[in-house]
Amino acid sequence: MQSAGNQDATACVATTVTDARALREQLNRAGYLADDDLATAVWLADALERPLLIEGDAGVGKTAVAQALATAQGAKLVRLQCFEGLDMAQAAYEWNYGRQLMTIRLQEGQRQLQDGDVFHRDFLLERPLLQAISQSGPCVLLIDEIDRADQAFEAFLLEVLSEYQITVPELGTLKATHIPQVILTSNGTRELSDALRRRCLYHYLDYPTLSREMAIVKSVLPQANSRLVEEAVAFVQRLRQEDLSKTPGIAETLDWIRALFQLKQTSVVQDIAVTLSTLGCLLKTQEDRFALSAERVRQLAEGGRSIGVAEKKQPVQHSTASQA
Amino acid sequence: MTGDSNASGLQATAPAQRLASFAVLLREHGLNVGIAEQQTMLKILLLVGVTQEKTLQAAWRAIACHSQREWRQWQDIYQRFWHPESVRGSVKVSGQTKSSRSLQQQVQAMHDDMESAQQPSAAKSAAQSAGEVPGFDQHNNGLGDSSERAMGGASRVEPLHSREGQMWLPQDLQALQLLARHITRQLKPRTTRRWQPDVHGRKLDMRLTLRRSVAWGGALVMPCWKASKTEPPRLFILVDVSRSMESHASLFLRVARAFALEASARIFVFHTSMIEVTPLMQRDSPAVQEKINAVTAGFGAGTRIAASLKAFARRDARAQLGSNARVWVMSDGFDTDEPQELAKALEGLTERGARISWFHPTREVPAAAALQQARHRIERFIPLASLADLKAAAHQLH
Repeated sequence: MQSAGNQDATACVATTVTDARALREQLNRAGYLADDDLATAVWLADALERPLLIEGDAGVGKTAVAQALATAQGAKLVRLQCFEGLDMAQAAYEWNYGRQLMTIRLQEGQRQLQDGDVFHRDFLLERPLLQAISQSGPCVLLIDEIDRADQAFEAFLLEVLSEYQITVPELGTLKATHIPQVILTSNGTRELSDALRRRCLYHYLDYPTLSREMAIVKSVLPQANSRLVEEAVAFVQRLRQEDLSKTPGIAETLDWIRALFQLKQTSVVQDIAVTLSTLGCLLKTQEDRFALSAERVRQLAEGGRSIGVAEKKQPVQHSTASQA
Repeated sequence: MTGDSNASGLQATAPAQRLASFAVLLREHGLNVGIAEQQTMLKILLLVGVTQEKTLQAAWRAIACHSQREWRQWQDIYQRFWHPESVRGSVKVSGQTKSSRSLQQQVQAMHDDMESAQQPSAAKSAAQSAGEVPGFDQHNNGLGDSSERAMGGASRVEPLHSREGQMWLPQDLQALQLLARHITRQLKPRTTRRWQPDVHGRKLDMRLTLRRSVAWGGALVMPCWKASKTEPPRLFILVDVSRSMESHASLFLRVARAFALEASARIFVFHTSMIEVTPLMQRDSPAVQEKINAVTAGFGAGTRIAASLKAFARRDARAQLGSNARVWVMSDGFDTDEPQELAKALEGLTERGARISWFHPTREVPAAAALQQARHRIERFIPLASLADLKAAAHQLH
C-alpha cells in the first residue's frame, strides 16, 4: 500500500482518525462501549452520508448504537420500528383527511377551493421517515428490524436512503435539508435485497468477547462486586457455547447480574440454588431451561469442561457490545 | 477521488491498481464490489492514509461487505492479499493473478493451472467407479468401515444419462434449469396468518376501506380487498463434497445451482466443515461452470455431516429455519461423527419446523449407520444420480 503522500493529505488523516476516535469516545461517554471497527463504520456512514446496516443476533446491542449515537451527538432520534404489513402511510406520511374535510366544509360557499388549499404541508401527517428528512438539525434515523418489513416496503426505502427524499404526488419531492444519519438493524430473519444492502455500509455485530462484556457490565453496574461480575460474565460466555435455541445477549447478562446483585450474591457459585432460580433472566425458552440441568449449570459456573464443550466452542470474535 | 490523487499520476495510479486487484479478488470470493464501491474505497484510502491500516481496513470492510458471510470472509481475504507473508500453510487463493502473490501462492496457482489443463482426463477418472480412483480406499482407512463406505459412497451409476458431469452440454443445462423451474413452482408456499391488500382478494379489508373513505367524507366509494398472505418456502441445499462424493458432487452442485437461480436457494457445501457458496452459484457466467468443477477439487478426506448440520443450524441459517424451511441434503450419508450425532443434528432442524429431504447418489437408501438411526427425522429419501432421477422425483418435491 502506498501513502497519499502530501501534507494536505496528512493533515486530513490526522483529522479523520481523530474524528473516528473522538466518535468512539463520545459513544463511550453516552454509555456504549464500541470497538474500533464499529466506531469507524459509524463515522464512515456519517462522512459518506450513507446508511449503516447493522446485522447481528438479538440482544447484541444493534438498536443501542443508534440511541447512543443520538445521545452522543445531541441529535434527535427518530425511530421506525418495522413489522409485517408496514406501509408508506405508517412509515412516511399520510394526509390528515379529517382536517382537510373540515377545511372544505368551512370554506363551502365562501370561495372556490384550489388543490393547494387542502394539499398543503400543514395537512400532512409526518411519520418517522418524513420527520427525519424534515429535521433542520442533526438527526439519527433508526430503522429497526428492517427484516420484519415486507419486500415492497424495502423497495420504497431505496429512494429515501439513496436520495434522502420522499415524493408526495400532490406536493412534489421533499428533500432533506439536513441529511440524517441512518442506521438500519436486522436480525437476519429474512434475506434483504441486494439493492438495499448495496446502498448501505455494513457492520456485523457479534457477541462481545469476555473482556469487553466485563467492561460493559462494570460500566453499567459499577456497584456490583467484581468477583460476581467476572464469574457471571464468564458463565454467560460459556453458556453461549451451549446448544441453545435463544442465546443470551448482553441485555440478558445485565439483567442476570442485576438480579444476583439484588439478591446480595457475591459469587455465582456461592449459592447454586439462587443461580438456578435466576436463570430465567438468561434462558427465555422452556426448552433451553429444560436442557440445562442443575449439574450442567454447576459445571458451567465452576468453569469445568465437559463432553462436547471443546467441540462446540466457536472462535472468539472481535466484537462490539452495548448496554441495554 | 480527491484532487490530491491527481497531483502525481504515478502516485495515484499505483494504489488504484493495487486496489483494483484487491477488488478483483473480492469479487472472485463472491463479494459485490463494483466500481462505486471501488471508488469509495479509494476515496477512503486517500482520506485515511495507509499508515492507519486498522482504521482503513475497518472502513473498507464496511464498504465492501454486504452480509454476514462476507463479513466473516473478509479478514482472511484481506490478509491473503495485503499480507501474504503472514499466511502460511494455507489453501489456494483463486482469482489472484497479480504480481503481489507470494511464491507459495504462485506455485499453488501453477498447480491449479496444470490441474485445470488436465481436467478432462481427471474428470474422466473421477467419473469411474470409486474403487478405481487412486487413493480412494486410503481416504477411507481408519474409519472402521472402509468397505461399507466404499460401497455406499461410490455409485456405479454415472451422472446425467451416463455422461460425466463435466461434459454437460448447453441443452442439458437448459433442461436442468427448466426442471428446477418446474419443481420450484410446485413448492407449496406457506399461508401465513396475515392478510395483505390484494385487488383480486375475496375478502373486504374493512379497516383499509374505512380509512380510504375518509378522503371522500366517509362515503365507501373505494372498497379495498385483501387475501391471505403467502410466503414461498425457503430452500437450503447442503451438498456433500467429501472424497466419497467425488464422482457425484459435480452433478449435485449443478442441481444446487439451478435451484439457486430459480428458487433463490441458499447453497452450502460441506466435508469436515461447511461454507456457503450461494453468491458463486448465483453468478451466471461460463466461468462459474468451471469453478463448480474446481470446488470439488479442493476437498477430500472424511465427512462430518452431523457437525456440519449443527453449524448450519447454529450459525448459518439460525434465524431462517422455521416451518417454511426446506432443507435438502445431498450426500451418501457416511459420517465420521458418532452415528447418533446425525439424528441429534437433524432433530435440531426438524424441531424448528424444517422439512428435510435426503438426496443420495445410490439407488437404495445408503446403509450408513448414522443415516439409518436418523431415518425418522427425514421426510423423504430421493435417489439422485442423473437428471432423469430428478425428473422422476419432481412430483415428490412439494
